[in-house]
Amino acid sequence: MLGSAVQTLDISPVGRVEGDLDVRVDIKDGVVVDAWTQAELFRGFEVILKNKDPQAGLVVTPRACGICGASHLTCAAWALDTAWQTEVPRNAILARNLGQITESLQSLPRHHYGLFMIDMTNKNYRNSPYYEEAVKRWAPFTGTHYEHGVTISGRPVEIYALLGGQWPHSSYMVPGGVMCAPTLTDVTRAWSILEYFRKNWMESMWLGCSLERYEEIRSYDDFMAWINEKPEHANSDLGLYWRMSQDIGLDKYGRGHGKYISWGYLPHEDKYNKPTIDGRNAALIMKSGVYDGASDTHKLMEQATTREDVMHAWYDEPGGKHPYDRTTNPVMKNTVDMNGKYSWCTAVRHEDNGRLEAGPLARQVVAGGTHGESWQHHDPLVLDMYKKLGGASVALRHFARMHEGVKLYRQAEHCLREFRLNDEWYIKPTEQDGRGWGATEAIRGALCHWIEVQGGKIKNYQIVAPTTWNVGPRADNGERGPIEQSLIGTPIADPSDPVEVGHVCRSYDSCLVCTVHAHDAKTGEELARFRTA
Amino acid sequence: MANLLWLQGGACSGNTMSFLNAEEPSACDLVTDFGINILWHPSLGMELGDNLKAMLNKLVSGEMPLDIFVFEGTVVQAPNGTGEWNRFAGRAMKDWVQDLSNAAQFVVAIGDCATWGGIPATAPNPSDSTGLQFLKRQAGGYLGTGFKSKAGLPVINIPGCPAHPDWVTQILVAVASGRGGDLALDDLQRPKTFFTSFTQTGCTRNMHFAYKVSATEFGQRKGCLFYDLGCRGPMTHSPCNRILWNRQSSKTRAGMPCLGCTEPEFPFFDLEPGTVFKTQTMMGVPKDLPEGVDKAGYVKLTAAAKTASPAWAEQDIFVV
Repeated sequence: MLGSAVQTLDISPVGRVEGDLDVRVDIKDGVVVDAWTQAELFRGFEVILKNKDPQAGLVVTPRACGICGASHLTCAAWALDTAWQTEVPRNAILARNLGQITESLQSLPRHHYGLFMIDMTNKNYRNSPYYEEAVKRWAPFTGTHYEHGVTISGRPVEIYALLGGQWPHSSYMVPGGVMCAPTLTDVTRAWSILEYFRKNWMESMWLGCSLERYEEIRSYDDFMAWINEKPEHANSDLGLYWRMSQDIGLDKYGRGHGKYISWGYLPHEDKYNKPTIDGRNAALIMKSGVYDGASDTHKLMEQATTREDVMHAWYDEPGGKHPYDRTTNPVMKNTVDMNGKYSWCTAVRHEDNGRLEAGPLARQVVAGGTHGESWQHHDPLVLDMYKKLGGASVALRHFARMHEGVKLYRQAEHCLREFRLNDEWYIKPTEQDGRGWGATEAIRGALCHWIEVQGGKIKNYQIVAPTTWNVGPRADNGERGPIEQSLIGTPIADPSDPVEVGHVCRSYDSCLVCTVHAHDAKTGEELARFRTA
Repeated sequence: MANLLWLQGGACSGNTMSFLNAEEPSACDLVTDFGINILWHPSLGMELGDNLKAMLNKLVSGEMPLDIFVFEGTVVQAPNGTGEWNRFAGRAMKDWVQDLSNAAQFVVAIGDCATWGGIPATAPNPSDSTGLQFLKRQAGGYLGTGFKSKAGLPVINIPGCPAHPDWVTQILVAVASGRGGDLALDDLQRPKTFFTSFTQTGCTRNMHFAYKVSATEFGQRKGCLFYDLGCRGPMTHSPCNRILWNRQSSKTRAGMPCLGCTEPEFPFFDLEPGTVFKTQTMMGVPKDLPEGVDKAGYVKLTAAAKTASPAWAEQDIFVV
């Protein structure tokens, strides 16, 4: 049926941050040969923030994305801390980190069951020996593990509510610290919630073993030995995910550029009390980095190297600028032109390394590097898998996301242990003009805010989200965006139900509403449409 | 069985995330126990065997009944009233919203964006965003003041940034179980059962409010957030301290001033310089007073409160 003609699938819709993004893929001989990602929603948060109260970002930016609100708040607070040259007490660093961590823990089962694993129950995989079990566990709403996983995902953010009153959309992180002053009962309640999450999902359903046993895994060989060690491991949701993903070929596509960025995150409670832009890299528990897979080299990531191209984005302003120098001028008529402008998302790049993939896989290949400070977190597992398995894939990208869970859990425990309840939580800062920058790693990748305060109000506010890195259109030099690149080579078994495109988009957790609709290249007839995030 | 369609316009998905925190009933319970058939949702919906546009068209034409149309996010009207800055399934989202609202038995706006325009509609409102039937406090919005859904009700507004999951699920259960007719709405079309009491109702800092003991800066273990830190609890209608968030707390309990996010003016003062987390005062008296209290009354009340204030009220109360 396909022949050798090029078929075009239009994927409408997937936004700059959570919302609508469209994807177009050209298919030849059953394989994706070209791809374009389009963001189809413009809300103009940077425009709204201009000339507002310096602290307006604390209110507005968590609402840029309801899924990563704690991450936006983290960036907004640290950006003001660096601009105002505040002092941040150690308790406040811990309380901010704990908020960030619990949001990410929440997202693990929510994305895994609610978004990603549904595709494993697609009828395309009915011949897999794992299919029947997959449907039983992971079918939407009715799957036994779907329901448990989606429901328990609400637990970790109960800890966020103890600190900030609610999740999503609190603003409890403020320049100079946090608004809360937790008591012993808040801490013991938080411990109980963590324990519940560990016992009732992480160990019992996800791993089939203790956290301690899982932490012994340091290489791909260790991981495979773990799977084969006991039926409890092989049949855990992790074990079954891995085995089925190999069986249905998720290890074979979704590679991408093989270049990665992480801003790093979780500043150490004793090393970032006088925050500066330049001092951040050396203060992080989870180090920043750029990893280049082709040369197998790591280096630290610096904010000054960020560039945004707009040749293919619906903005009327000079391209190749650092975010401090952007003006955010939307075009009035956003006509889709794949050779011209086709997205609200800019093409973010490193000034030397070009397009970089953000996300959990990026964090984990960066964690495998020996760059940075000797005391910073190091974990060789995912980088070892990356090398042994021949690079990235849908299967490895999603594995990397879930692998982080145990480490996040340990960091949450660290925060609870380290709070000194009788010490201060907030040191009132002096408002002043200046430039600031705050960054973190949202669960789905590198997030940062730049702010310039002048005359007691915001002169410029710029956000570059993980989604901006990943779903951006082509750069001015034609280099594809990371998801565009990852889609190349994707096999499409059934063009009327191109689940494989969904796998790639969802492996990035692109946080976008994405419907695939397929067109026959000759007749223009629409073949299928579906949701990818 | 009630067919429910949930779409997002100029949205952050925060209401969806909040909705997923629900228990008793959980999102899954709504489907399995209450017979709500979620036809499509941007991040939750079942896989669509057929294409989405065909289903939407069937809903618009009436071929497939649409019992509940839930909308999250603003209606984006830019540029020049075309709505092309927010396209969905090949068409301006605003056009889908109009057609689907006309076809639905009940239309439910969830969160500030869909009710009043919310953050995206903050000056200068770059996306020309509006709520379904209000733009801020002004009635009309996108669908117009005369709009009524097939069941005869205007848009049911469940505001909040985000809305609490229980506010959402309880309204959905009421509608799905045939009690939609029992819904009593206030002037802003909010269910009265949730939005008659104040955010302050049930706040753990009420004694400090009564004795006018202020939390003068963040991170303190006592004090009311109204006097200095800009808390809007006494003039905001919400059950935030009656139905706790994430089963644990509320912003004011945790030490964060209420931002008034269930009211149409949120974010207040358009976030102009000097207005964030600071009580706006004139001659030492807050410009916005607790609802129904006038300036003379407030001055007398606080003077009396100060006089009567016991010594313990100035001591830490939320102690380690």
